[in-house]
Amino acid sequence: MGDIGRGLIAVGAGLAVMTGMMTGAGQGYAAGKAVEAVGRNPEAEGKIRSMLILGAAIAETCAIYGMLIAFLLMFVFQ
Amino acid sequence: MILSSGQPIVVQVEVFSILLVTAGIFVFLFMVNAAIVKSDPLAKPKGLVLIGMLYYEFIQGLTNDNMGKKTAVKYGPYIGAIAMFMAVSNLSGLIGLSQPTANYSVTLTLALITFFLIQSTKIHYNGVWGYIKGFFEPFAPFVVMNLFGLVAPLLSMSLRLFGNITSGGTLMQLFYLFTGFLSSLFPFIGNFNFIGVFLAPFLHSYFDIFSGLIQMYIFIMLTTIFIGNEIPQE
Repeated sequence: MGDIGRGLIAVGAGLAVMTGMMTGAGQGYAAGKAVEAVGRNPEAEGKIRSMLILGAAIAETCAIYGMLIAFLLMFVFQ
Repeated sequence: MILSSGQPIVVQVEVFSILLVTAGIFVFLFMVNAAIVKSDPLAKPKGLVLIGMLYYEFIQGLTNDNMGKKTAVKYGPYIGAIAMFMAVSNLSGLIGLSQPTANYSVTLTLALITFFLIQSTKIHYNGVWGYIKGFFEPFAPFVVMNLFGLVAPLLSMSLRLFGNITSGGTLMQLFYLFTGFLSSLFPFIGNFNFIGVFLAPFLHSYFDIFSGLIQMYIFIMLTTIFIGNEIPQE
């Protein structure tokens, strides 16, 4: 594989990690909604926190997939 | 060892760490069992007995909430077992083992067990004919989408766990390489990675402890929710 091929692999890996963009937006939205919920009824704070962490971790899966693809590109196609 | 077709059998490192993890869990459970047998049932629980009771209550609360009391008794032991195995194997990176869950075969196996449990619960409550008929609902062309929906939880659950643990491990490797390079710029110290010593604990506590335990929690939560969905409400 030539230099251009290796460079294209790097570009592809970089593009794959861009799945993290919308994940960040989604997690921020979820955190904002959680703050609103705590403001509305502060006594449910513990439950809201655990649900926020669960939801954020599930939303993060998408970014993790992108990262997996990037790792595959970097380490498998050398 | 060599197969008859001439290809060598590769024994992956994770096999040994699985053995170590299961041996550790086994010894710990024997200790808890001995402590429970010796303890006074009327006195306040403490030590290992307390840990065992808290763990039991955690699993019982989770399964009761998502599956209902009757089925929770049946599926509780499985949930407790995979929760313990996953938690210990995710944390095993802290003592330098290569994590078993960073191998796709292990996470796929765990997800496959859950997948077959979901399908068997479905067959148990709907009958074989009802199970097959369920694929053609609401009308016949939906069979394509239903088949994709059948495989989707298997892929997403196994890849989520695998991706999280693998990315954590790879990032820590890159981090150690980078700090090793940075500290090699200082004179007199040689190859001792002293910057990594100060910065690594924070990253380890995020990638190994926080991320590992959260992924374990999500896996058992999704397992109970998926199985609970198949149980008809009475």
